[in-house]
Amino acid sequence: MTDQVFGCMSACQIREGLATRQFSAREIADESLKRIRALDGATHAFLETTEEMAFEQAARIDAAIASDLLDEMGSLAGLPAAFKDNMNLIGTHTTCSSRMLANYVSPYTATCVSRMLAAGAIPLGKLNMDEFAFGSSTETSAFGPTHNPWNLSCVPGGSSGGSAAAVAAGLVSVSLGSDTGGSIRQPGSFCGLVAVKPTYGVVSRYGVVAFGSSLDQVGPFTRSVEDAAYSLNALAGRDPLDCTSQHITTDFTANLSEGVRGMRIGVVPAFMEAKGLTAEVKAKVEEAADHLRQLGAELVEVDLPNAQAAMSAYYVLGPCEAFSNLARFDSIRYGYCDPGHKDMNSQYDASREIGFGSEARRRIMLGSYLLSAGVYDTYYYPAQQVRTLITQDYARAYEQVDCILAPVAPRTAFEFGAISDPTEMYLSDMFTISINIAGNGGMSMPVGLGAETGLPVGVQLIAPQFKDENMLRVAAALESVYGPAPVATAFLPESDLSAPANIPDARDAVPGVVLGEEGECRA
Amino acid sequence: MTEHLSEHDVRDIAEYVRIGLTDDEVEQMTVDLNAIIDSLRPITEYELDGVEPTFHPIGTLSNVMRDDMVVPGFSQEVALENASKTQDGSFLIPSILGEGGDR
Repeated sequence: MTDQVFGCMSACQIREGLATRQFSAREIADESLKRIRALDGATHAFLETTEEMAFEQAARIDAAIASDLLDEMGSLAGLPAAFKDNMNLIGTHTTCSSRMLANYVSPYTATCVSRMLAAGAIPLGKLNMDEFAFGSSTETSAFGPTHNPWNLSCVPGGSSGGSAAAVAAGLVSVSLGSDTGGSIRQPGSFCGLVAVKPTYGVVSRYGVVAFGSSLDQVGPFTRSVEDAAYSLNALAGRDPLDCTSQHITTDFTANLSEGVRGMRIGVVPAFMEAKGLTAEVKAKVEEAADHLRQLGAELVEVDLPNAQAAMSAYYVLGPCEAFSNLARFDSIRYGYCDPGHKDMNSQYDASREIGFGSEARRRIMLGSYLLSAGVYDTYYYPAQQVRTLITQDYARAYEQVDCILAPVAPRTAFEFGAISDPTEMYLSDMFTISINIAGNGGMSMPVGLGAETGLPVGVQLIAPQFKDENMLRVAAALESVYGPAPVATAFLPESDLSAPANIPDARDAVPGVVLGEEGECRA
Repeated sequence: MTEHLSEHDVRDIAEYVRIGLTDDEVEQMTVDLNAIIDSLRPITEYELDGVEPTFHPIGTLSNVMRDDMVVPGFSQEVALENASKTQDGSFLIPSILGEGGDR
């Protein structure tokens, strides 16, 4: 037996321990599941645990170790992992935190998930999110919100809030999230993690429930840059099942120790003066810039003159693509079906009324309106033209610099209910959205706690398209100053926090799912 | 705030996207959608003459066709697993013709 807390360990520490037989993969699975059950009551990051799959994967790893074949198990061997609940994993519920999919059981596995498993990660469960990824706080989950491990009365950010909270609480070492307008980077900043949205096309989207198909990208949450790089090595590359995925041969760990001497790093004055950017976040971005300068980088001012149009372009393009993607929930093939209807239209109306939460309904209706005849030319077409201008802005900036440094979110994590106006909530993504519009890679890198709130702050590093290794190199330099992301204080191994969770096991949960207070499921 | 949409418009959209809304929900949705559409105004004020649209972030993509070969897919049984109602290996839906059909 061991008293080590595996979810607080890195990929290298886990591999080292397995190789020297300090512990077995079975112990990792067993202890990690125990820790999740003991502590997740406080965060509610998990919607479901995957005991059976965890032990099967552990047995494979232990068998490989017994045959001296650990090296063939991949760079994530034994690493405790979990997945956002919009990612299919065969035999688990994939709910998108929506009543619509409360009883949906995946008949197949998403490519991003299967690649993490092929690299040796141990799957421990599925993670809470904003419903269908529509939100920036995880408050729109039909199964109740996730709490920020750094302050349980604050949101973890969103939409990948469960993915961020699980890693920040040391329940897992790596999780996957998806990012359409900031949904990896903003919760990464709120929970103080390394959180990477790769360039569009680096990771296959096959098997991830679609929100905005020209904007969505999958990426990892970790506590170290090296673990993020290992995860990207596992995730990246061509998948015949997603025609937008690209051939990628980059080793994302290759240049992490090169430092930033000689690199040119851009700062955007308009971002630093933006209305709504809090003093503590601004101070942290400036501090990170100073550190990079001291480490030998050249800081260069760059202009993104059209970036301020990104918000409105996104809130045209995102809902239009979501409207199209969410048309598939027809109550017939899968998803909630309201019983007792004698005609098809009333079954559709009732099933989609009850199945979708209010933010999902808003975005579907908005998208439908924006794509309607006459309105299309006023909003949708100009938004795609603005997309060209924003993409050109970035291309021009990257003629001068190798990477851009910016804020991630205008502030640190806010309290539950603090933002109730949808248009105000949308401002959470003001610094992240233009990157999805242009398709570049972006990441949040933790740089300590804010001076006023004492909550984590991340800085955003933005790379040219398919040069994601640039931002990882800068992130590694910042990590040499700030250290790897810490586990939230209350969840450190020596803490005496006890918050038993009541999480359904994937196998036992079939076919029902316990819903949160708001989610009175009529299925 | 400009009224882009009336409650009548919102009812029409709801019918089109097949989402039932109560009267109270129509009222709130009308307020919300008008506020959001108002916030999109910057997009209508840009000088965009001659700017080509970008429909996709990777400009170099071309369409991909795979070889026309039979590959394994879902069995009928698996494809029906998540359906709420099935009959004789098919999805079962309410009648769409005749009595109980279109309203």
